[in-house]
Amino acid sequence: MPTFLPATHPRFRSVTSVLGTATALAACLTPITLLAQDQPSPQKTGSQEQGPQTNAAPIPLVPGEPTWDSFHGQLNAQKYSPLEQINADNVGDLEKVWEVHTGDVSDGHGDLPPTVWSATPVFANDTLYIGTPFYRILALDPGTGEEKWSFDTQSTLEALTQPALKNRGVAYWEAAEPDAGEACQKIVYLGTMDAQLFAVDADSGEPCASFADNGVLDVNQWNNTNAEWPLSLLQPPTVVGDHLILGWAGKDWAFEQAPPGNVFSINARTGEREWTFEVLPEEVREQSGTANIWTHMSADEELGLVYLPVSSPSPNYWGGNRTESAPLATSTTALDIETGEVVWSRQWVHHDIWDYDINSAPTLMDITVDGEEIPALIQATKMGFLFVVNRETGEDVWPIEERPVPGGDGSVEGEVYAPTQPFPTKPAPLLDQSEKPKIWALADAVSFGQCSALWEDLWYEGMYTPPTTQGEGALTYPDSSGGVQWGGVAFDPENQIAVVNTSHIVQYVKLYSREDYDKADSGSGNESGFSPQEGAPYGMRLEVARNWLGMPCWEPPFGELVALDMTTGDVKWRRPVGVTQQYGFFMPESWGSPTIGGPAITAGGIIFIGASMDAKVRAYSLETGEELWSDQAQAPSVSIPAVYEYEGRQYVAFIAGGNSILKDQVGDQVAVYALPK
Amino acid sequence: MSQPLRAKMGAIVLLIASLVGLAIALYAYFTPLTGVTGTLGALVAGAACFALAVMALLLMLVTGRGATIALRLLILIGIAGTFFAGLLLHQRWIDAAMVVGLIGLIIDIARPSSHARPAHF
Repeated sequence: MPTFLPATHPRFRSVTSVLGTATALAACLTPITLLAQDQPSPQKTGSQEQGPQTNAAPIPLVPGEPTWDSFHGQLNAQKYSPLEQINADNVGDLEKVWEVHTGDVSDGHGDLPPTVWSATPVFANDTLYIGTPFYRILALDPGTGEEKWSFDTQSTLEALTQPALKNRGVAYWEAAEPDAGEACQKIVYLGTMDAQLFAVDADSGEPCASFADNGVLDVNQWNNTNAEWPLSLLQPPTVVGDHLILGWAGKDWAFEQAPPGNVFSINARTGEREWTFEVLPEEVREQSGTANIWTHMSADEELGLVYLPVSSPSPNYWGGNRTESAPLATSTTALDIETGEVVWSRQWVHHDIWDYDINSAPTLMDITVDGEEIPALIQATKMGFLFVVNRETGEDVWPIEERPVPGGDGSVEGEVYAPTQPFPTKPAPLLDQSEKPKIWALADAVSFGQCSALWEDLWYEGMYTPPTTQGEGALTYPDSSGGVQWGGVAFDPENQIAVVNTSHIVQYVKLYSREDYDKADSGSGNESGFSPQEGAPYGMRLEVARNWLGMPCWEPPFGELVALDMTTGDVKWRRPVGVTQQYGFFMPESWGSPTIGGPAITAGGIIFIGASMDAKVRAYSLETGEELWSDQAQAPSVSIPAVYEYEGRQYVAFIAGGNSILKDQVGDQVAVYALPK
Repeated sequence: MSQPLRAKMGAIVLLIASLVGLAIALYAYFTPLTGVTGTLGALVAGAACFALAVMALLLMLVTGRGATIALRLLILIGIAGTFFAGLLLHQRWIDAAMVVGLIGLIIDIARPSSHARPAHF
C-alpha cells in the first residue's frame, strides 16, 4: 500500500482529516469521547478558478523579529518566541498585569449552548486581536487590555454542527504594499458557526466593503454536495501571503454522508475564490464526506507550500461506504500555495475507522540529523505517533514502516480493512500503544474487579484493532480525542528541541446494527456515547473505560509533557503535566491531566502552557521540565498562549475559556502576565 | 476561668476551628480564582465544617458517657475527612483549622469525665 504519493501520481490529477475524589476522574474523562467533534474533510485537487494575486515577499521559516500574528504564533507552527526577557531565573516573579472578561460565555444551562473557547490571541498592528465564541472580535491595547474597538458579527448562536459554540480566534492580514489612505489595508477575519467569514478593518473595526459582500463571505455557497449539513468556520483561516486558506468543521460522527472536505483559497483583499482543493475521490463523495481540514495549517512561504492536516472520512467508525482508495484522507498533504496542486502527500492512517483525524498543523523545522541539515516537518497525530519527513518532498527523515495490523473479526458487514498501517521508527511513540493498556489496580480494587471484567470483554489484538459488534466492543488506545490534540508540537529552533503535550485515554467502541442501535439508544440521548452514524448500517457507542465510580480503569499518568531532541529523535525528558481535578478535588501531580490546547516556547528557556483540567496556567523549564511557575485561571486554558513584546515589555497572554470535554467549567477570561516593572 | 468553662474549653476550641474552617471553605467556594470556585468539593468541605461546629455544640451539652464517646468518634472522623478534603482541595488553611480542631478534641478528651468528677456535697 503506498504511503507516499508524489505530485505526479495519477490520483492527484483526478482527485482533489482516592476514593470519592478519584471518582472525579471518571466524570472528567467521560466527555473526552466527544472531542473529535470538530472535524473537517476535502474534495478535489486544486481546480484553479482565478489567478492568484500575491504581493507579499516570502518570509523565512523563522521570522527575524518576534511575531505572534497567527494561530500558532507564526506560519511554521513552531509556537516559538525569540523573546528572552522572561527566563528560568525570573519567571517565578510573573504577575498578572491585566485581565479582561469578555462576557461571551455560556455554561449551557440557559438558552444558549455551552461555549468552547480555544482562541490564540493574535498580536499585530500594536493590538491584541481576539475572537470570542459569540463570534465577536475584540481589539485590545496589549499593555492594558483597554478595548480599542469591538465588532459583533450578529451571528446565530445555534450549535449547528457542533454541540457547543466554538471559536479558535481570528486571523490577521496586512498588505505588503498598502494603498495610502485606503481602508482595509490591514484586516482581521473571523468565521462563524454558519460559515460566514467576516473581514473588518484592523484599525477601525469597520467591515471591509471591498471584501466579498460588504465584508462578509458566505462559504456555505460552495457547499454543494451533501449540503443538508452546513459548514462551520470555527478555526480562523490560514493567511499565506495574500491568500486565505480555508478549512471548515462538520459533523462526521452523526451521519454517513457529509459535505466532502474541500479547502478554499480566498483572495485576502477581495474575498474572491482562487482555487478549490478536494480531498475525497469523486466516486465516494456522494455516500461519504468530510476528510476536511478543521484545524489550522502551516506554510513555508519560501517553498510556496501550505501543509494540510486532513481528517478522516465519514462516518467515523464504519468504512463500508468508502472502500475505494482515498489516499488523501487522514494525511498530511502539501499544496502549492498559488495553484492548490498537490506537491506531496503522506497518508498516516489507511482506511481510517478510528476517527484518527490528523488534527494539528505540522510543525516546520530545520534540523540537523547525522550532520545533514534537513528541511523537516513533524506531524503529531491522535495515535501518539510523530511522523518526521522532509517538508520539500515528503520523504522519511527517520524510516516509517508499513506494519501488519489486525483485521476484522468478521462481525461487520461491508468493511474492508487495511492490512498494514504506517509506524514511525523514530521518535518513539509518545504513548505506549505496543500492548493492551494495563489495568489500574486502585480502580480495579475499589470496583471489586469491574475493570478486569471489562478488560476481558473487550476485543484487543493490538494497535488499530477495528470496531466490532461483539461483546463490549473493541478497546482503542489512544482515544479518538487524540494522544496529541490540535495544539500540536512546539519547537525551539535554536536548540532543536520539540515539545508536545499528550493525553492518555482508553476508550472502547462497539458497532450496533441499525435495529439494535435504535433499541440501545432509546432514551439515552448523546450523553451516553451513542452516535447514530445515520445512513450507515451501524450505529456506534463509544465510551471511556471507567469503573462504576467513574475512575479510569487504566494506569496514570493521564497526560504528559514530552520534550524531544530533534537532532537524534530521542526523548529529552517527559513528565506528567497539570493535575486532574473533579468536584474541586485535585489528584496527585504524578497522575497528570488530559490536555487540550498547546504549548508556547520562548528563547528564555520557558514552556508556557495551560491545557490541563485544573485550570492553571504554567511555566516549565525547557531544559529540565521542572515546573517553575503557575497561576489559577478562571477555566482550563484550552488554547495556545501568545507571547509578545510591547513597548519593551514581554507579555504572555492566556485565554481561559474551558471545554466541556475536559471539564464542566467555562470561562471568558483573557489573562495577561509580565514581570514587575 | 470558671470550672464549667474550663470543662468546655476543648469543645469551644473545636467550635471556633470549625467555624473558621467553614468561613475558609465558603470563601474558597464563592471567591473567583481560588481553584475550587463553585465546586462541589468546597461546598462539601463547608458542610463538613458546619457539621463539626454543630457537634462541638452538642459536645458541650451531652453528659452521657456513651453519647460523649460516640460524638467524639464522629468528630474525629469528621476532622480527618475534612482535613483530607482540604488537602485535596489545596486549601491549607482548612487543614490548619482542622489541626486546631483536633487539639480541641484532645483537650476535651483529656478533661475529667462527668463520671469521675468529684461530687459536691
